[in-house]
Amino acid sequence: MKLRSFTIAARCGLVVVAAATAFAQSGNDEVHALQVRPNVYMLVGAGGNITALVGADGVLLVDTGLARNADKVLAAIRKLSDKPVMYIVNTHFHADHTGGNEKIGATGSFPTGGNVAGDLADVGKGAEIFAHENVLNRMSAAKSGVPVAAQPTETYHTEDLRLSPTFHFGEAVQLIHIPSAHTDGDSLVYFRRADVIATGDIFTPDGYPFIDLESGGNVNGVIAGLNKILDIAFPDFRLEGGTMIVPGHGRLCDIADVAYYRDMVTIVRDRVQDQIKKGKTLEQIKAAKLTLDYDPRYGTVPGSTDRFIEAIYKSLTQKK
Amino acid sequence: MTGQSIIRCASVLCLLLPVSLLAQGRGGGRAGQPASPKAAAPVDLTGYWVSIVTEDWRFRMVTPKKGDYPSIPLNAEGRKVADAWDPAKDAASGNACKSYGAANLLRNPGRLHITWENDDTLRIDTDAGTQTRLLHFGAVSSSTGVQTGEPQWQGVSVAQWELPGPGGRRAAAVSGGDLKSITTHMRPGYLQKNGVPYSGNAVLTEYFHRTVEDNGDSWLIVTTIVEDPQYLTTPFLRSTHFKKEADGSKWDPSPCEAQ
Amino acid sequence: MRRLIRRWAVSVSLLAAQAALAQVDFSGEWAPRFHEDQPERVPGPELGDYLGLPINEAARMRANTWSASMMTLPEWQCRPHSADYIWRGPSPVRISQEVNPLTRQVTAIHAEWLRSIDRPIYLDGRPHPPDYAAHTWAGFSTAKWEGDMLTIYTTHLKEGYIRRNGMARSDKATLVEHWMRHGEFLTVVTIVTDPVYLTEPFIRSTDYQLDLHQQIPPYPCEMVQEVERPKGDVPHILPGENTFLNEFPAKHGLPAAAAMGGAETMYPEYRKKLKTMPKASPEAAKQ
Repeated sequence: MKLRSFTIAARCGLVVVAAATAFAQSGNDEVHALQVRPNVYMLVGAGGNITALVGADGVLLVDTGLARNADKVLAAIRKLSDKPVMYIVNTHFHADHTGGNEKIGATGSFPTGGNVAGDLADVGKGAEIFAHENVLNRMSAAKSGVPVAAQPTETYHTEDLRLSPTFHFGEAVQLIHIPSAHTDGDSLVYFRRADVIATGDIFTPDGYPFIDLESGGNVNGVIAGLNKILDIAFPDFRLEGGTMIVPGHGRLCDIADVAYYRDMVTIVRDRVQDQIKKGKTLEQIKAAKLTLDYDPRYGTVPGSTDRFIEAIYKSLTQKK
Repeated sequence: MTGQSIIRCASVLCLLLPVSLLAQGRGGGRAGQPASPKAAAPVDLTGYWVSIVTEDWRFRMVTPKKGDYPSIPLNAEGRKVADAWDPAKDAASGNACKSYGAANLLRNPGRLHITWENDDTLRIDTDAGTQTRLLHFGAVSSSTGVQTGEPQWQGVSVAQWELPGPGGRRAAAVSGGDLKSITTHMRPGYLQKNGVPYSGNAVLTEYFHRTVEDNGDSWLIVTTIVEDPQYLTTPFLRSTHFKKEADGSKWDPSPCEAQ
Repeated sequence: MRRLIRRWAVSVSLLAAQAALAQVDFSGEWAPRFHEDQPERVPGPELGDYLGLPINEAARMRANTWSASMMTLPEWQCRPHSADYIWRGPSPVRISQEVNPLTRQVTAIHAEWLRSIDRPIYLDGRPHPPDYAAHTWAGFSTAKWEGDMLTIYTTHLKEGYIRRNGMARSDKATLVEHWMRHGEFLTVVTIVTDPVYLTEPFIRSTDYQLDLHQQIPPYPCEMVQEVERPKGDVPHILPGENTFLNEFPAKHGLPAAAAMGGAETMYPEYRKKLKTMPKASPEAAKQ
C-alpha cells in the first residue's frame, strides 16, 4: 500500500515537474507585467501566468508561479502597488501555479472580524488563499510535501464561488469550477467588472493541453472548460478584444484565440474517437499522425504530441 | 548673429549635406553634361529574375480553356474575339507569339535577364518565348536608331526614371526610385494565352520597382496598365512579381507556344 | 556678405527639412481591381485549390480536413480577413493619415476596409509589443519610407488564412508589405513568412484604383445560431475522408498532385513537370 502511494505521488511529482518544464515561460525566468485593464495585469515569466488585480487597499493574485520565482514576482508586484497581497486564488494545484503561495502569501494580510478577530494569534496574517476543494485535497495529501502555509484557506465544492466586491477592491470575482479538465480541481477566475478571465491550464495557447489524468483530468473536461470560456466571454466588434483572457501559459488572448484552441482540441479528440471506434490501439493511433496539421504550432515541445494523444485515448477509454 | 557665427553655422550645415546634393550626378561626363540614364539609375534592375507564380496560376502555368477569362474587363467586341480563339490557326499563320507580346510577356512564367543594351537603353530578355524588349530613355526617333516602322510584338517602349520627392526631383539624401515605361506601336496580341485580345492601339504603361528584404531576397514588382478601348471596358491593371536569382544557371529558353 | 551667408544657411536647412518629408500620400478611397484571380477573390476559391502556395504537409492536411460549415459557428461569423489576406478580398479600403500638427510629420497611416476594423500603421518609431502581448486581426504595424515606397512590418497577427478554403496561416507569421502609388493606381505587395505552415515566404501583389465617389458604409455583424447542432460540435472532415478534393483539378484539367500545391508549383520549371503528370479523372471526382 505504502509503495503504491509512493509510486502515485512520485508520478504526480514527475507530472508536475514535466508540466513546469513543458511550460517554462522563458530561459531566464524574468517576470514581466503587461497591463490588461487599468487595474488588472498579467505577469509572465514566473512559471504559469499570474493575474494581478490591483486595488486601493491591496492586491489579489490568480496563481503565484514557481516557488523559485517568488521574489521576482513580489518585485514585479511592487512596481504596480505598494499594498499587501491580500488574496490569492489558485486555478489548480500544480507547482508552477502555486509554488509562490507560501512566500508571497506571507507578505500579505486580509481583513477578518466577527468571532475570530483577537481570539486566534495568526488570524488575518498572510493572504487568504482561495481554490476548489480538490486543490486543498491534493495539496494537503500526506505525500504532497506542500507546507500548510501554502495550502488554500478557503475552498468551495459547488459550481462556483463569488467573492464580494466590497472586500475585493470593488471587483466582482467569480471562481467557476470546471470538473475533470486539466485536473479535478480547476477554476476559471472571472473578473466580471474588469471583464477578464484567468483560465489556468485549461487554456494554454502555446502548446497542446496537458491533461493530468492522474489528478482527475479528462479531455472532455478541457473541451467543456474551453466552451465555458466562450460562453462567458463577450467579444468586441469583429470578434476582437472585449473580454480579455489570461491563459495558464502563453500570451494574452481574447475570445478568438480560445475558439481556435477549442476547435483544435475538439477536432483532435474527434479524430482519436473515430480511430477508437475503428478498433485501433493506442500505438496505432499515435502512428497515424492525427495531429500532423497542428504539430508545428502546438507540438513543439518534444514528447508533447504523444502525451496529448495518449491523454485523449485514456480519457475516452477509461471506465467511468 | 555675428559674422563669425554665421560663417560657422554655414560651415556646419555644409558638412551635414550629402555630397550628392552638391555633385552634378554620378559618373557624369564632362562638367555640365547630365548623367546618362544608366549612370543616373536610382535603382539597379539588372540581373536574372524568376517569375514566382502565386497568382492567376491556372491562367499562366497552363493554358486555360477557350472562354475562360473571368478576370479581364473585356467589352462585347473583346469577348467575341476571345471566343473565336483558334490556336492551330495562330500557329499556322506565324502568330504563335501572340501571347508573348509586351502587354502579356511578363505574365508568361519564366526568367528575365535585364541588362543595359547601351547607356540609354535597358534590355529585357525572356527565356519564355525568347523575346527581347528594349526600353529607350529619351525621345524615340530614327536618329536614335530605334525602329518605329511596322508594329512588333514588343512595340516601342519609352522609359524614364521616377525619383522620389516633390515633382519627381530627388530631395537630398532620399534614395530609391522606379522605372516607368510606356509602350505603344505593338502588334495585336493576347492578354491571356487563350486568345483574350489587345489591339494595335493599346497603350501599355509599366512601373518597375525593386525591393530588398531583410532576409536577403530581392523582388522585382512590375505594375502594368493596359488601356485599349477597342476591347476593354476599363484600364486593365495587373502586377507581377519576380525574385532575384544569383545567376543565369537556370536560364532555359523555349520558343513561343500558341497553346 | 553676411546677408548672403545667412540666406544660404537658411536655404540649406530648408532643403534638409524637405528631405525628411519626402513621401507619398496614400490617402483616399481605393477600390480593388479583380483583374487577377477574380474567381478566387470574389466568389471564393474552390476546395482543394492550393496552386502556387508554398505550403508544407501540415498546411495541406489542415486545409484537406477543413469544413466550410465551420464558418457557421457563432464564434466565426464575424471574423474579418486579417491584415495579410484582406488586400485580396472583395473589400474597398479607405486610407487616411494622422499628422502631428506641430511638426507636420505623418505619425500614422490608417487603413480601413469595408468588412474589418481600423488598422493603424505607425511611422513614429514606436517599438513592437513584447511576444506575450495580445494578437489582433490587423497585427501591430510599423513602417518606414524607402524613397516613395512605404515598407511595413507587421507582427502579432492572429491566426488567419492565405486562401479562403481552409488554407491556414498561423499566428506565428510575420508580414512585410510594400505600398507603391502611381497617380490613381496603388500596388500593394504582401510577403508572408510563416514558420508553421509555409516553406518559403509567400508573395502576392494586388492592385487598387482611386475611386473619388467611393463611400464605405458601416458593416455591422451579429452572431446568431445559423445551424442547429449539438453544443460544442465543431465541423470538420476526418483525415482521408474529404471526397471533394478531386473536383477542382478534374474540372480544370489539372493533375491532382499539382492542385495540392507546394513551393515547386510557383516556379516556371514546374510547367515541364506538369506535362508528365496525369490529369485528375472527372470520374473520380463524381465518386
